[in-house]
Amino acid sequence: MTTHTVPLEVIKIAEDIKNMKIRGAGRIARAAAKALKIAAEEYKGQEVKEFIEYMKSIAQLLVSTRPTAVSLPNAVAYVTSKLDKISKLTDISEAKRLIINKAEEFIEYSLKATDKIGEIGSRRIEDGDVILTHCNSSAAISVIVHAFKQGKKVKVYATETRPKFQGHITARTLLKEGINVTLIPDSAVRLVMKYVDKVVVGADTIAANGAVINKVGTSQIALAAHEARVRVFVAAETYKFSPATVVGELVTIEERSPLEVVDERFFKENKGVTVRNPAFDVTPPEYIDAIITEIGVIPPQAAILILKDMFGWAIKDYYHYITIGSEMEEY
Amino acid sequence: MYHNKIMKLIDDVALKIGYGEIMGSTESVEFMLDNMKYIISVANNVKDLAQYVTTLVSKSIKARPTSAMLINSSRQILIKLDELLDKETPLDKLKRELPKLIDDISVKAKMAIDQAARIASHRIVDGDHIMTISYSRSVLRTLDYAIMDGKKIKVTILESRPGGEGIIVAKILDKKGIPTTLIVDSAARFFVKNVTKVLMGAEAVAANGAVINKVGSSILALNAHEARVRVFVVAGINKFSLETVFGELVDIPTAKEETLLPPDKRKEIGDNLKVFIPLVDVTPPEYIDAIITDKGVIAPQAVPFLLKEVYGALPPKLPEIKDLIAKILSKVQ
Repeated sequence: MTTHTVPLEVIKIAEDIKNMKIRGAGRIARAAAKALKIAAEEYKGQEVKEFIEYMKSIAQLLVSTRPTAVSLPNAVAYVTSKLDKISKLTDISEAKRLIINKAEEFIEYSLKATDKIGEIGSRRIEDGDVILTHCNSSAAISVIVHAFKQGKKVKVYATETRPKFQGHITARTLLKEGINVTLIPDSAVRLVMKYVDKVVVGADTIAANGAVINKVGTSQIALAAHEARVRVFVAAETYKFSPATVVGELVTIEERSPLEVVDERFFKENKGVTVRNPAFDVTPPEYIDAIITEIGVIPPQAAILILKDMFGWAIKDYYHYITIGSEMEEY
Repeated sequence: MYHNKIMKLIDDVALKIGYGEIMGSTESVEFMLDNMKYIISVANNVKDLAQYVTTLVSKSIKARPTSAMLINSSRQILIKLDELLDKETPLDKLKRELPKLIDDISVKAKMAIDQAARIASHRIVDGDHIMTISYSRSVLRTLDYAIMDGKKIKVTILESRPGGEGIIVAKILDKKGIPTTLIVDSAARFFVKNVTKVLMGAEAVAANGAVINKVGSSILALNAHEARVRVFVVAGINKFSLETVFGELVDIPTAKEETLLPPDKRKEIGDNLKVFIPLVDVTPPEYIDAIITDKGVIAPQAVPFLLKEVYGALPPKLPEIKDLIAKILSKVQ
């Protein structure tokens, strides 16, 4: 058992992820990679075996902070994917180097991914398009901004996105770029859909069947778009695809505090009223025309392709976790 | 001087009828009728009376052009006024006859709601979980009857922005002892699969069976349709629009920016920000399972049938509001 203490900076990052000081799938993923990097750098021991145990405990600590954000375990799995290889090493500095390199690789990759998505996605946007977006997604914004910078005159409808009004942040970001933005209430999405050419949204998690888990309200926007024959694009980095869903795991929908919807006085005065506040909902693949990732555009039903290509190793791990005992490894 | 005061009152009434301060369309009509009785009682001569009544009608309708009940009630009053003027009815008789009609319209409107709600309550079964949107007196009455009949029901209410009437409705339902869940408008699709029925009121029912109601109604109906949950609209036939095919609403009434954004917010987001805050939307007949009226339950596509039965002809031979007003004013010149 390792007795090495967890660096303070790592604890701080874990806490910031937990109380949502660090938010957004991409930022969470990069923060976790950074925490693993710091943990490796600060490691003072000399035993490779102990180092592996230590890194595993750090990984576990980080993953437990936000059980529903898939980018987090994916980032952690990416950085620690070489632990098996490390176990064959004898030189501790080489072991540390491997982890640090992987962490840096992930952070750089993640930063470039959003930009790459913008570049690829912008090709699907035409001059004069009216785009509807929901909540605040850096990948979706990247697509819109790239298209605008190519000289395509786009107009954007941004939903205000109750209960936390992330639509205000989206509107502000797009307005700063000089883009024409109209803010609408969430209830107006079907009415507005007849003026819209394309829907561009982000994703929190993408399941093995291509279903997209994103900010609550996304699924009814996709439904309204489908009804109006408006195309729906989901902009998402590959680390938002969930390997666990390949083995049948369900994606847990986080339910947030009702105080985001009403104030405390409301509860005191209306004791019989329940307020439900799911943060996400599930958009079925049939309402999504394409998922735009940094490695290309795929139909949602091809999500498994991304999962096998990018997370084949992780899926193998999940198989081991759930049913197959280690004694069956030779299969 | 006195004349100006009345005109000011009329403007205030119209302002309140225009969406916002008064919630339901029924309430706004009652408010208009109450004020009409008052201005009739203070008119000094026939000409003033005609002018006050017609001004109140035209300004109120302009403020809330989607309210079929407002238009239908106004038409009834204007037709009566026109008839009375033809007979050169003196002022004191006008002051007796018109309020009598106004009271009659109010009472009948209440009875229509009660009757529609009574019928609608028969469609609710013990254990139903109902999803609804915004504030509708017809829907609330329906729930009252269902409870009176001993049916145990649960309600999920949408917050219903802009306006947020859902929060007020949640309070009302809580006082009635109905287990109530409040959700944001975006969560309608997430929860609709757990409910057994969707119930909504109407601002107007168009000739093709399309229903004009609080914005968000149409996405709620679409969600329900997708989840194979039945959608019922409770509306007396005084909500049936005889004027236009509302399915092609050209001018959707919109709310003021403050209903969506607190005053300091715009500065924070950006001065170039535009807002679009529609107040109503149109639910196509194919997403509505039945319209429950005081005359019985009908398929939305059967609206013309009911109109013909009630008004004797299709299209009903009724004068337009603006023609009536012109006729009345020409008679008092």
